[in-house]
Amino acid sequence: MKGFRAILRKEAIQMARDEGTLRFAIAVPIFQLCLFGVIDTNVKHVPTVVYDQSRTVESRSLIRDFENTATFDVKRFARSRAEMREEIVAGRVATAIEIPPDYADRRARGVPADVLVMIDGSDANTSGQALSAANGVALSHSIEELLARTGGEDLPLRVFPQILFNPDSRSANLLIPGLVAILLTFSGTVLAAFSIVKERERGTLEQLMVTPVSPVGLVLGKLIPYLALGFLQLIAVLAIMTTVFRVPIHGNIFLLLGLSVAYLFALICMALVVSASAATQIEAMQRAQAFLLPSIMLSGYVFPLSSLPEWLRVVAQVLPATHFIAISRGIIIRGAGFADLWPHVAALLIISALLVLASTRAFRKTLA
Amino acid sequence: MNSSPSEFGIEVRGVSRDFGPVRALHDVSLSVRRGEIYGLLGPNGSGKSTLIRILCGILAPTAGSALVDGLPVPGESEAVRQRIGYVPQRFSLYHDLTVDENLAFFAEIYGLRGARKRERQEWAIALAHLEPYRQRLAAHLSGGWKQRLALAASLMHEPRVLFLDEPTAGIDPVARRELWNLLFELAGKGVTLVVTTHYMDEAERCGTVGYLYLSRMLVSGRPAELLRLPDVTPRGMRRYEAECAAGAAAVMGSARGLAYVEDVTIFGNALHLLVDGAPEPARIARDLEAAASAPVQVRPIDPSLEDVFVRLTKLASQAEAEPAGAAR
Repeated sequence: MKGFRAILRKEAIQMARDEGTLRFAIAVPIFQLCLFGVIDTNVKHVPTVVYDQSRTVESRSLIRDFENTATFDVKRFARSRAEMREEIVAGRVATAIEIPPDYADRRARGVPADVLVMIDGSDANTSGQALSAANGVALSHSIEELLARTGGEDLPLRVFPQILFNPDSRSANLLIPGLVAILLTFSGTVLAAFSIVKERERGTLEQLMVTPVSPVGLVLGKLIPYLALGFLQLIAVLAIMTTVFRVPIHGNIFLLLGLSVAYLFALICMALVVSASAATQIEAMQRAQAFLLPSIMLSGYVFPLSSLPEWLRVVAQVLPATHFIAISRGIIIRGAGFADLWPHVAALLIISALLVLASTRAFRKTLA
Repeated sequence: MNSSPSEFGIEVRGVSRDFGPVRALHDVSLSVRRGEIYGLLGPNGSGKSTLIRILCGILAPTAGSALVDGLPVPGESEAVRQRIGYVPQRFSLYHDLTVDENLAFFAEIYGLRGARKRERQEWAIALAHLEPYRQRLAAHLSGGWKQRLALAASLMHEPRVLFLDEPTAGIDPVARRELWNLLFELAGKGVTLVVTTHYMDEAERCGTVGYLYLSRMLVSGRPAELLRLPDVTPRGMRRYEAECAAGAAAVMGSARGLAYVEDVTIFGNALHLLVDGAPEPARIARDLEAAASAPVQVRPIDPSLEDVFVRLTKLASQAEAEPAGAAR
């Protein structure tokens, strides 16, 4: 621990004097939260083209039903199937509905009527939701008619779905708790990754090497100011989340803050490992990227972990971001407590401990 | 004031260091008495920095042993670090800290606290005359003042041995002289100093100088002894200075062409000649005047330190296979 206090004080003074870094550390995450927080993942108003060959009261009623789902937004009418297809290829619409000439006639006779719905499959989220909305329209029309024909009043099977934690399916509630973790990961890693390389580039590391400062003292002295800065970021981002985006924290906020410290600890150690082995700031940045991208793609933030192949799921377990996203979503959305989250907490602590070890080793190598 | 029994601040015995296939230091030995200033000279890449890094305990020698303040490096590196100061060639303090903050940082890193820390800080400020600049950021100091600050910072923990890697490179002559006065003051207090430099006038101020060339210690000794080395002016040879009214360059080529001239160097307006055999100064002057068609004055001189190093370097590159020790 030799030299810890000296390094800590020096880093604190340097950080306080470096307005650019402070602005980057606080303003950028807030700005990004405001930017990305407004994204709505619920698919609505998908631009739609309609080829209505029936041109009857019945066909127009069907189109209205499609529009009433709020999923489809009829933008234009086509005069052929080819024209419809062309609209999708050009990207002007994402779905197309074709109603055959005998639609009204078949409905009147009680013979099955076929309506073609074409969906642009290049966006999985949109096509999935458009597909279920189209099926919904067909089902409700069919059930209505079947009930009328049999004279029955009730359906044989009814499902009462109940969505917990986010009954309105607000995107912000799902998105922002993960986004908080990602923003913290980014700025924390980038800031800390520069800290040692800067000393190497400016030659001050050479001077430190001949002093009795110990690797642990150096690592912890550098780590704690960044930990404090990261914590400040977190509080700012959580404040915006609860006030501007009105995403409630269902669990214990102090548990969240406490576990965030463990996460930041792991993160900064990771950055210091990267930093200790890089010769220039550019090299450090490239190495940090190698760690940041998997933290976004594999941590469960973008894709659910269940969509990863088995071996990638193992990789995901090694990333601190995976566990923190689970913790952050658990506490904020589901109101989970320590008893529910302890496996993630344990994993995070083990990863942190290994990284502290690795970063002091990396420094010992540098210093020796 | 020294607790260690040895009279030497630094003792190096047969130290070598390899970087992969490259031998950066080859069988280097030297000893520096306590309170002595040792000047380490040699072209860039000759191994000066490698030697200093080994003595600072941040690089392990491949072979040989070294004692710093009586302690072996790298074996006792931890203890050695507490006793040495190091001023690297490049300014290596924090640009975004003030003079006071830099000094406080180095005091703290060596474990100084409270009253002792303040006392040392005041001492260092007074020593380096930094009082007017205490609150100034290091980035805003000029070269000479930066170098004083670096020196002051390296002295916070009262090191017994101080290493300075080209401390006067790129600073003006007045600042250079003042820095050397500080070094003499420290040596007077018993601090052992190792200074690398390319300046001959600085080399002459050192108690002992060593000349590294191609990773070997070509020669080591007191400046006055080096001037009298038989290899520098071999038996039967003499040194002359030839001053030509038309300038030194005018007679450079013809001087090289003379059979009895062993070596020629330009010194300002004059040539320094190493002459084989016994041609009279008058004859040399006649030979050169014939070529330059201008009057030439020739008088005998003693070799300078630069002559010593130039001569020894030439001999060493001529006899690459011969061991460096033979030059002594």
